[in-house]
Formats: sequence, structure tokens, C-alpha cells
Amino acid sequence: MKNFLKNHGLWILFAAAVISVALAVLSFFSSTSSPLTNLAGILASPFRAAYTEIATWFNDKQNYYKDTTALEAENAALKRRIAEMERAVRQGEEASAENERLWQLLNLHRRREDFQFEPAFITEHTVTNWTSSLTLDKGTKHDVAVNDCVIDETGALVGVVSKVGYNWCTVLTIADTDTSLGAQVFRTKDLGLAVGDFALMGGNRLRLDYLPAGCQLVAGDLVQTSGLGVYYPSGLTIGSVDEVQVDDSGSVSYAILAPAADFDQLTEVFVITSFDDVVIPADDTAAEP
Amino acid sequence: MLARNETIFKWLLYGLATLLCFLVQAVLQRFTFWGVIPFLYPLLPAVVSAYEGTTSGAIYGLAVGVACDLLLPGPIPCFYTLVFPLVGLCSALIAQSLLPAGVLCSLVVSVPAFLLTDGFHCFLLWTGGQSAWPTGGSVMIREFCVSVILVLPVTWLFASVFRRTRFDN
Repeated sequence: MKNFLKNHGLWILFAAAVISVALAVLSFFSSTSSPLTNLAGILASPFRAAYTEIATWFNDKQNYYKDTTALEAENAALKRRIAEMERAVRQGEEASAENERLWQLLNLHRRREDFQFEPAFITEHTVTNWTSSLTLDKGTKHDVAVNDCVIDETGALVGVVSKVGYNWCTVLTIADTDTSLGAQVFRTKDLGLAVGDFALMGGNRLRLDYLPAGCQLVAGDLVQTSGLGVYYPSGLTIGSVDEVQVDDSGSVSYAILAPAADFDQLTEVFVITSFDDVVIPADDTAAEP
Repeated sequence: MLARNETIFKWLLYGLATLLCFLVQAVLQRFTFWGVIPFLYPLLPAVVSAYEGTTSGAIYGLAVGVACDLLLPGPIPCFYTLVFPLVGLCSALIAQSLLPAGVLCSLVVSVPAFLLTDGFHCFLLWTGGQSAWPTGGSVMIREFCVSVILVLPVTWLFASVFRRTRFDN
């Protein structure tokens, strides 16, 4: 090797100088990169591409992680916000329903200023298969007494207080077999007796008995309390005629009534603790919903 | 014969078991099956009397009847006080003469228990001028069908008390 460089060193140096000058001249006169630079670039190109791919993949993963974390946090925050809004909507709906009930009650109170109401919540619905009753959370402490009428917010009669304790009372609904009320058909002014019937109680219906001969009832006729006897206030809506039973002679035998109050859906009712025996004009009661 | 404190302990356990049944009934009465509410109360004097005999069963029936009359609305103020001692007596006689106390006996005595209770309901409605027998019969059958399943847990509960107090004896 030493001899080789000694013998050919000058030639190698000369060849290198010639190549360098040639490359310099080519670079000077060429519009593209020099051949060596070009060659180096060609050789490095796949590595650059691979490096770029890896870097891009890594960045994607990093961004994906960041985005996912941010989205999860945003999703959790949105869920919280939706829950809060749903709660607010529910509260709003409850407040709206209560507002509507109170407005209806206010309207009733305007028509019947003699009524003293005690609002009460239903704590228990019917407890046996042989009665139709409700238990309320108001009792003697709140001036509730036996035989007080109980209505819903529309003024529809729900029932009559049958038992009362210090802070509770039991109400027999108008469909119960022990309930009996003086009733009047709003359209014809015919008087009758609204009584519970066991055969009808399961379907939340009651009978209108003792109707006068030749009474012309039709389905849908409104029936209210008559107020006769001063036991119960007049003008409370009992329900409407559902079906009329006619005997062989053609005169009305009795009518089946559909109560205006829906006992199963009730949550809040109003006990009439006091009233004056004032029979209100029929036109006023007609406006009752 | 049991000593006084053992008798007290036994009836204390029966009382607690009865209280548990009342709580279960308070939950059950919020549900309707086949158009009726399951009715647990007539099963209590029937099952206990089958284990305890005529006198104890009738007295237990009286106590449960008084409690029911205080808690439930009825056609007359002492409805359950009148019926449940009869249920207890009837069940005890069946258990003494026909079947030994157990699940089968409880199933058998639950029939007269519901017959007496619901039959008395129908009778009172009938005396009140209601045509109650067809509808009342339908209610009675459905009430029995949805309540008879409860015979098994009730019998297990009171049989446990009975065995426990006999073991103590």
C-alpha cells in the first residue's frame, strides 16, 4: 500500500483535482444541484420519507390523544350541563303545572268565595279491593272534619272525608259504595242521588239514582252536587253521564256517571273545610272546566 | 307448658313477623295484578292458627283484626275484628282434624280465610242494597289467586317462629 501510494500518489491526487474541478465547473454551469448533492439527496430521500412518516404518525397520535382527552372533558361538562338543564326543565314543568292548578283553584275561589280550602297531598291510594279511598296528609290539626268535601284543582268532587286523625284523614271517593250525594243534572235541573255501586267501582264509575220519571238525560250531561240538605256544598262537579239505563216503560231508570276527577292520577287535592249555603247561579258554574 | 317468659318471647316473635307482613302489604298495595291488589291479611290468622291451635289462633286473629280495622277502611268499624277470629278458629280446626300444619295445610286454610273475609264483604254490600254477589265473587277469586302465592313465604316465616319457640321449649 505504501509502495502503491508512493508510485501512484501523484496520479491519484491529480485525478482527484481533475474530478473536483470538473464537478465545480459542472455545478457552476448547471441549473440543478450538483451531481454529488443530487446523489446524496437521492440516497437520503427514502430515509427522509420514512422519518417524515414516523413523525407524522407520532404527531397524529399525540394530537389524537390530546383531542380525545379534550373531547372527553368537554363531553363530561356537556353531560353535566344537560343534566342541570333537564333538572331545570323538570322544575319548570312542575312549577308550571302547580301554577296552572293554583290558577284554576283561584278561579274556583273567585266563584265560590265562601269556600275555605285546605290543600293536602295524597299519601296513599286505595288499600283494599272493596273500597275506593284515599289517605291525605291533613287532619284535625288543619281543621279537617268528617264529611268535608274533597275536590281537585278544577273543582271536581273527589270524595268525602270519612275518618280523620290529628295529621291524616281518609277520604272515600265518590265511586265508593258508602258514598251518597244529592245531585243535580246541570242541563235539565233534574235531581237525583249519586251513589257508589260495587259493580261499577272497579271501573271508577257511579250511579245516579232516583231520577224523576220522564227524565231526558243524554250521554255527556254534566252532573253537580245539588247542595240540598246543606251537608255538602252545591255546584261541585261530580261527573258526566256515561250511559243511561232505561226500563221497560221507557222512562229513565238510572244513569251511570263518569267522575270528572281521575282518582288514579291525583297527587294533590283540596279539602273544603268551610262553606256557606249559597246556591250560585248556574251560568257561573257552567264556566267551570 | 311454656313458662311465662317463653310465651312472651314466642308471641313477641310472632308480633315481629306480623309487623313484617304488614310492611310487605304496605308495599304490595301499590301494585295491581289481574285488576286487584294482593291481600295478605287473611293469611296471617289462617297460617298462625294452623300452628297454634284454636284458642291462641282466635286471639291472634282478634289482635290482627283490631289492627286491620284501625288501619283499613271497612264497611263497618269492626269488620276484621269479627272475621279474623273466625278465620283463626276455622284454620285451627282444619289443622287439628284434617291436615298437619305446613305449606299444604296453609294452602287449604287460605281458601276458607278468603271465603269468610270476602264473603262477609259481599254479605254486607248485599244488605246495603248492592247487587254484590257476582262482582264480589269475581273479586274474591281474583284476590285469592294473586294472594295465594304469598302463602309460601308467610308459612315459612311463621313456621320458623314456631320451630324456634318449640326448640326453646
